[in-house]
Amino acid sequence: MTNKLDSKDRSEGDREKSRAYQREFWPGILAYGVVLIGVLVWGDLDGDSPWRFLWAVLPVIPALWIVRAVLRHVRRIDDYQRLLLLQALGGGFAVAMIASVTLAFLEIAGLSIQGVGWIIYGAGMLGWIISGAVVGRR
Amino acid sequence: MKNGLKTLREDRGWTQGALADRLGVSRQTVNALETGRYDPALPLAFRIARLFGQPIESIFTPPEDQGVQEFEA
Repeated sequence: MTNKLDSKDRSEGDREKSRAYQREFWPGILAYGVVLIGVLVWGDLDGDSPWRFLWAVLPVIPALWIVRAVLRHVRRIDDYQRLLLLQALGGGFAVAMIASVTLAFLEIAGLSIQGVGWIIYGAGMLGWIISGAVVGRR
Repeated sequence: MKNGLKTLREDRGWTQGALADRLGVSRQTVNALETGRYDPALPLAFRIARLFGQPIESIFTPPEDQGVQEFEA
């Protein structure tokens, strides 16, 4: 039997941690989007300039800010939430590894696949999200 | 591990969120503790014991089959 004391509302501490995470995460995403668009529009990645390699890796800089935000969030959360996050990351890692090995064997067998890195990235992220939803429901 | 956290909390009229704030953990963690899905590490167990003014062993009860085995020297 549930009562009003079993409310699923987040605690004030949860909200504060979430706000801190959002404050650090979204500027990184915004900067990543701006740099990415700039690189795609003006980077001339299909050209011959040797600078194109520098432009191609430029979005990594704001992406590192996102990584910093995630790591700081991990330091703020408690042990149980870290355990759930670890399980979700493990799921994502496993999916990425399986995707990587599968695509590698398909390439050995002669199948030409464009954008292998992005496929593995997408599979890993999707695996992380789905695993996170599954472990969060337990 | 079984525990009497839910009863102790409800006796004080606290929501899970209110207890979470007092312990410095998330509401999700309090829920996992109360339903026995998560056994706390010692620092959190001590915080819980201190908050409710009771020894750890009166709040948390290990399963019968997990007692310490005694060996003859």
